[in-house]
Parts: sequence; structure tokens; C-alpha cells
Amino acid sequence: MEKYDVAIIGGGSTGLAALKQLSNLGKQAILLEAGSKIGSKNISGGILYSKKPRKGIVTNVEQVFENFLDDAPFERKITKYILHSTSKDKVYSMDLTAAHDYQANFGYSVLLNKLNSWFAKQAVETAQKFGGGIIPGVHVKSVKWNEDGTAIIQTDELDEFEVKAIIAAGGVNSEIAEMTGARPKFTPMQLYQGVKVIVKLPEKIIDERFGVSSGEGAAHLFAGDVTLNHIGGGFLYTNRNTLSVGAVYHLDSQLRNPTEPYRLIDALLKNPMVSEFIKDNVPVRADIDKSLPQEEQLRIRFAVTKLIKTWYDVRENHLSSNEKDEQAIADIKAKLSFVQEQMTAKYNVTFKTDYVEAEYGAKLIPDGKRCRMKKPFFKNILFAGDAAGRGIFIGPRIEGLNVGIDDGVRAANAVARALDKNDFSESFLGQYYSQSLEESPYTMDMKQIDQDYLKIFLDAARDVPKDIIGSRYGPILKMMSNRTLRGIAVKFANVLGYDKLLPMIESEDTYVKVPIELAERLGKSIPISYSPSILSIADRISKLSYNDDHMPHIKIRDPDSEYMKKMVILCPAKCYSEEGGKIMLQHEGCIDCGTCSQETDWKHPRGEKGVNYQYG
Amino acid sequence: MAVVVKLEPDFSEGSISYNPDGTLNRNETKSTLGPHSRIAAQAAFYAKVKYGARISVASMSGHVANTALQQAMQTCDAEVLHLYNDVLFAGADTLGTAETLKAGISKMEGKMDIVFSGHRASDGETGQTGPQIAWKLGFPFLGHVISYDVNLEKRTITVKRLLSLQGMPDVIEEVEAPLPVFIAIDPSYKHSFDTVSERLTSEKYQREAYERAKNYKDRLQVFNSEKLGVNRGLIGLAGSPTIVYDVQRVPKGKATRHAEVLDGSNPEHIRKAVARMREALSAMVTK
Ligand SMILES: Cc1cc2nc3c(=O)[nH]c(=O)nc-3n(C[C@H](O)[C@H](O)[C@H](O)COP(=O)(O)OP(=O)(O)OC[C@H]3O[C@@H](n4cnc5c(N)ncnc54)[C@H](O)[C@@H]3O)c2cc1C
Ligand code: SF4
Repeated sequence: MEKYDVAIIGGGSTGLAALKQLSNLGKQAILLEAGSKIGSKNISGGILYSKKPRKGIVTNVEQVFENFLDDAPFERKITKYILHSTSKDKVYSMDLTAAHDYQANFGYSVLLNKLNSWFAKQAVETAQKFGGGIIPGVHVKSVKWNEDGTAIIQTDELDEFEVKAIIAAGGVNSEIAEMTGARPKFTPMQLYQGVKVIVKLPEKIIDERFGVSSGEGAAHLFAGDVTLNHIGGGFLYTNRNTLSVGAVYHLDSQLRNPTEPYRLIDALLKNPMVSEFIKDNVPVRADIDKSLPQEEQLRIRFAVTKLIKTWYDVRENHLSSNEKDEQAIADIKAKLSFVQEQMTAKYNVTFKTDYVEAEYGAKLIPDGKRCRMKKPFFKNILFAGDAAGRGIFIGPRIEGLNVGIDDGVRAANAVARALDKNDFSESFLGQYYSQSLEESPYTMDMKQIDQDYLKIFLDAARDVPKDIIGSRYGPILKMMSNRTLRGIAVKFANVLGYDKLLPMIESEDTYVKVPIELAERLGKSIPISYSPSILSIADRISKLSYNDDHMPHIKIRDPDSEYMKKMVILCPAKCYSEEGGKIMLQHEGCIDCGTCSQETDWKHPRGEKGVNYQYG
Repeated sequence: MAVVVKLEPDFSEGSISYNPDGTLNRNETKSTLGPHSRIAAQAAFYAKVKYGARISVASMSGHVANTALQQAMQTCDAEVLHLYNDVLFAGADTLGTAETLKAGISKMEGKMDIVFSGHRASDGETGQTGPQIAWKLGFPFLGHVISYDVNLEKRTITVKRLLSLQGMPDVIEEVEAPLPVFIAIDPSYKHSFDTVSERLTSEKYQREAYERAKNYKDRLQVFNSEKLGVNRGLIGLAGSPTIVYDVQRVPKGKATRHAEVLDGSNPEHIRKAVARMREALSAMVTK
């Protein structure tokens, strides 16, 4: 049997940071990723932060990946962060840039397919030097232990092999965590369901529309009627030449009152402000004359496809910030009008205002306040990132990427230390790691309210008439608005603990009712110039790229269960249907989100199988 | 070892280009590595990972700057690319092509242990080029290969061949042959790297191949007939005894089945269907 020092399970940002750090420390590690390529299974919002907490130390992305700032394919540096309360056509906006800047070096919008591939490239260059590396397309199905404590990794694709320690970074749906009994499955109360679409928009239009200079970007957050009465909200982040538009909802709230996740996205896209943000000039094909010979119809179809593709490419180039001299600009303009002329004159292509959706995706997100693993290890396995339930959810703040990177580094450091002493016992490896996580400022954020962060919200809400919030949070508000009382209130709240406080803060009042009232009373009406032709869920799924597996990776345990009945609505890929009172699954369209995992035998698809995100 | 590949027009939507009269515009249509050639390149890559083989790619084509060669390089991590390009090569049938490719392969550095080719091309080829190159090189020819392993000490190769005979179930034949050999890879060829070390090696070579293929032109050697030193009588149109007399569509087989529409909700119909199936099954058994 082949032997290696360390195995890392899962090649998301967490696993990749762990690999890079171990390699930086000169240790040998093999990273196994189920997806056919690194990045193909990962999805985020997402803003990747670099933090400078006042207390404690974190390792930021640019410290692990030294070339990050010069070379990484991040999208835009977010410089505007605005919360909108919505009701029908009315929107009330609050600038929360101070909350975004809070203890941050920077926050970049990112797309995980690109970013994680880049991380992988950096990590593998170092890992290779020490006999390590990355193996994509391999799904770890279980772990066994030898008598001497070394672990045996069993996969669907490779011969078994032996390692001294494991870093489990398989994400929120990590079957390794569950299989080894390190933790039970997360419950709906501990989870959020995130759904997202990528909208295409040329770079310069984004700059202009969002009032940002080249390379900079904006984050817009939404609460109110766009939530369709759910606890959670929407977001829109600007990327270089796309927008990430998403919705994140508490799974418990979704189970109480199930709404199709795609309808939640649709509600957001139909909000006048969002519709105006995403709109573009879109070519529309003319119907092909059916009386023409078949070959001619085919030729026209191919020719139009090619022209439209060229038109998009040339326009993209025209409206990008790529350096061009005057001659080049003139050439591009000429080509663009030539192509456009051909489209309209030869093939009757017309143009209309609409939006262009490129990708749909969904994934669960763990709420670290409720589910971070208190004992993030089992034998010689360390759990990190989403797999350990370590996501930060505070108001609009969603942070999992930076937390995972810091966790990955902590796990790598602990493993390197164990390798040096050749001691992989729980007391030497696991406990040390656990202690290190306890010291993480991110863990603090999952445990306690930070009064300075809270103050930013109070300051932003200064102009809000007291009666709107007062009726609901009167006494709290009073205490919080006063500097000395705020300290006492926060201390009191922290004694109460997040568990007791959360139902009060994360409530329909906060996410739905108050924002609606704000919008209705103080909001501005946003005129809408068109109505977006929103893709159906069938079209969304058919746009995704899959490598089908004839073997289902999910098995329904009880086709009569109430939970499973709700999956007919809550599965974001519409994989479930009810026939004769029984729940049936068609696994081929599954996007591995994990929503149904609570009451199914759920595994990630075998290596290379299932969905491949192009953006993530 | 060498891989001979064929560059074919890319028929995917958006890549294809038509002349105003509706015929295919070969100059503007991008060329791509044919699917059979791609599999041949993948098969060669297996030897690179398993046995540390050195790979050269050879192709005869009218296009000089060719992204398909880049794809071939990426697929098998080849170190050398040969392109045989000359107006004199034009109009060649499989025999003429074989002469050119044989001459090219003989020009490659180092000893050739295995030459790989695809099963055939998708744009009008008959599967004869491979055997003819083998014959000209004097190598044993093994066709329909679905997997292989090399014994480096004994200098032999063991291959599995998929034999499909009409009216019979498919047979897998195992053949051992001394090196060098010429093997034509079956479309169903698939290899797997089963150990961590093989996978790591494979990943490493793939990455290197990707980087190297970015500057594939640095490794590209273009030969005309003179540089190849081939006998003009054996190449191109002159060396091609085949005359394409007429090209016809494959005639559609006449349907001999008679279909009857049955309604699944009608018990009478179901009984009828079951009876028919019984009848058919019993007929098969007695045969
Ligand atoms: C809609 C949405 C918005 C978000 N917004 C933000 C944001 O703005 N900022 C932020 O910081 N975070 C955000 N997050 C959270 C963030 O995306 C996650 O915390 C982060 O991606 C988790 O990284 P990870 O590496 O821990 O897990 P993942 O990215 O889930 O990676 C796990 C990997 O392990 C692989 N794997 C799993 N099991 C196995 C196995 N058995 N064998 C082999 N491979 C396996 C999977 O294929 C996957 O590639 C958001 C999440 C969502 C869904
Ligand atoms: S089948 Fe389950 S895991 Fe797959 S998309 Fe639907 S809810 Fe998500």
C-alpha cells in the first residue's frame, strides 16, 4: 500500500489553503477533490475578506498565497456596501460601507471556479517539491484505521493508501464528518440555503451603472418584500464583467413555509432596482422560415449563432478596460457595427432590453453561531471550514471563505507540528488544533456580539423614525444607542448567549416587516423600464454542465416523510416529485446543494460526476 | 513512441463556417483533433505516465498553424510535433498518406517502440491508413486495442483487442507481441491510473503539457516532401491508386418490422402483448 504523510479531503478554498500552508512548511500532502477540476464544485456569494481583528490573529489569503494581490483572478475591490429595504417599487437605502470596512484590509468579489483553480495552481507548485499534489476526480468514500493509528483512505477511484493525518475540508455536506461520527448532520435550524445566479454585463456598463471606477465594485443587499416572508435576504455583488445575484434564507424558515428557491431568486430579479441593475441590450433571433430547405435552415441557424457569439465577444472587448490604443478602439468599433449590421440586415436579428443569465447554482451554508464543531477533530482527522460548520452569519455579513482559509492554515500548522514530533494522538494533534480554533477571532464572532460592529448599524439607522423600530426593539434600541448602556446591554446579551438572542434578532420583524415599513414610508419609487424574461428552472438546469452518473448518490430513506414532501418545493434543481403520495428522486439534475441530506443517505457524487460549475 | 493524428474540421456550432453557396468553408472552419486521434493521444499518454515514454506527434495537413496539433500536444504531453505539409501531398488516398507518415516517423529521433493511431477519422476515412503505415514500417499491426501494458524487460507488449463479429457477442482477445508495434486504438479505449503516485505523475505531466502547448510552435517541425526525402511517385495524388468513383449515402435498411399500437391501460391489449412476448421468447429458445 502506498504511504503518504497527509491527506486533505476536499479542494475548496479551505483545503487548498491547508495544502499551500503544509507545503510552505515543507510537508508532504495529497489533496483529493471529487470534482473533475478544482473549482468545479464550489460556489459562493461571494466577497473574500482580508481582516485585521483588534484582538487575536488571523492568517489572511494574501499571507498564504503570496502572489494573491498581484496575480489572483479576483473580480473587483468592493468599496460600496449598501442595504436596501424593499416594498413593491419602493426602496429605502442605507449605506453600510462602514460595516464592510470594519476591521478589514479589503474585500474582493470573487468567483470560485476561477479563484480556486488559481489557488490550486499556486499550491501545487509548492506541494510538488515535497512529493505532494492535487488529485481531482477522486471521491473519498471512507476512512479506516490501522492498529498503529495510521489512517487508510478509501476512494471510489484509487487503490487504498495510508496517511498519518487527515484534514477534512469537504464542505458543509462532508460525509466524512458524519460517517466517522465526528459530528451529526447539521440540522435545518443550523443552516441557510443559498441560491445564486450569474448575470452577464460588460465591464464598462458595470463601472458606470454602479458608479465605481475600474477595478472597484459595489455590494447591494436586500431585505423586505423580496424575501417572500422568509428570514434572510438577497445580495448583488459586482464582478468584473458579471454580477452575482443571490438569495440566502434560513432553512428552518424555508421548511416552515416552503418556497421554491428559484422563486426567491426570481423575486429578487423582478425587484425594480435589481431589474435596472441587471438590464442589458440583448440580441433576439428572428424565426427561421420553415418553408426553406432543411439545409438552408440549418445554415442560417449556425450563421446566426456564430454572428451573435462574435457580437458578444467584440462588444465585450469594446466595453472592457483592456488597454487599447486609438487605432484598436476604432477597429473594434468598426467590427462591432459591421457585425451588428450583418445581424440585423441579413438575418433580421433585433435587440431588446433584457438580462443575460449565465449560471444558476445553490448550496447550504452553515451558521457557525449555531453549528460550529466544539470538538473539531476525531482521531487523526481535523475538520476545517464549512465541514466544521464554521460560517459567520451576522446580519448581512456572510463569511466562510476567509474563515476557511484561516482554519486551513491552523489545521496545517497543527499537522506540521505533529509530523515533527511524530505524534498524531488526539491529545497532541486534535486538542492543539481545537485550542488554536478557540483562539481564532472568527470563533469569537461566532460566540459573541461585537458592540462596535453593532454600533455601525445603529449609526446607519439614525435617520429612521423611532416608531418604526421602536415598537419592536424599543428597550434594546434605547440601551444600544447610549454608549455606556450599550456596553452593559451587549454584556447582558452575551451572558444570555446567542442561542437565546437569535430568535429575537433573526426574525420576520428584522428581515421582512421592518424593511417593508421602512420602504413604504421612506422609500423612493424606482421606475422600471422593462420586465426581465426570467429563465425557467428547466432552462436554468439545462444550461448547467453535468457529467451524469447512472448510480444515484442520494437514497431516499422514507418516501412518505413530511420532510421529503417539502423537498418537492425546496430542492433548487427540482429533482423531487410526488407520485401517488410517494416521493421520487431523479438524481441526474442534482446540484449537490445538500438541502435534502437531512433525511436521505446523502453522498457527494463519485469522482468527476455530477454538476460542474463554470463560475461558482 | 509516436502518435499519428488526423486534423478534422470542427463541426460544433459557432466554429463551422459556410461559403455563400452553402458549402463548407474549409479555410475558415477551425480544425480540431479528431475524436479517434484524441483517444490515440490519450493512449500514448498512458505509456508516458506508466513507463516514462517520450512522445512525438505526426500529422499530415494543409494547415500550418494548427491549434489541433496544440490539442494533441496537450493530450499526450508530446515533446515533438511533426507536420507534413506540401502541395504534393494533396489528393492522397490512404496509401499515399501512409507513405508520407512512414517517412516522417522514420525521421523522428530515437527508437520507435510503439506507434499509435486512431481507429479511423470521422470525415471520410476507411481505417486503412494505420495498417498501411505499419506495413511500410515493417511493424506488426494490432487493431481495435482497448488496453495495453508493456513489459520493459522482455520488450513485449500485451494488448486487449475488442473483436466485434456480426451476429456474435463481442470478444476480447489478448495478444502479446514483441516491440516495436503499430497499434490502432479502439474508440472504447479507456485507461485508469489506480494509485496515488500514478495520478500525481499524470497530473504533473498534464500541467507541463498544458504549459508547453501554449508555445507549441516552438516544438513544431514542418516538413515538405523534399525535407522528408520521400519518393514523389509514392505520395499525394500520384501515389494514390484509389479512385473515388461516386459517393453515395448509406442506404437505409428497409423496415421489416410491423408495429401495432397497444394501449397500456387496456387489459386486453396487455394480455395480447404478453402473449406475443411469450411466443417470441419460446421461438428464440427452440432456435
Ligand atoms: C450563496 C452563498 C453566498 C456566500 N457568500 C459568501 C461571502 O460573500 N463571503 C464568504 O466569505 N463566504 C460566503 N459564502 C460561504 C463560502 O462560500 C463557503 O464558506 C466556502 O466556500 C467554504 O469553503 P470550503 O472549502 O470549506 O468548502 P467547499 O467550497 O464546499 O469545498 C468542499 C470541497 O470538497 C469536495 N468534497 C467533499 N466531500 C468530498 C469527498 N468525500 N471526497 C473528495 N472531495 C470531497 C467538494 O467537491 C468541494 O469541492 C457563501 C456561500 C453561499 C452558498
Ligand atoms: S437532490 Fe438534494 S442535494 Fe440535489 S439539488 Fe436537490 S436538494 Fe440539493
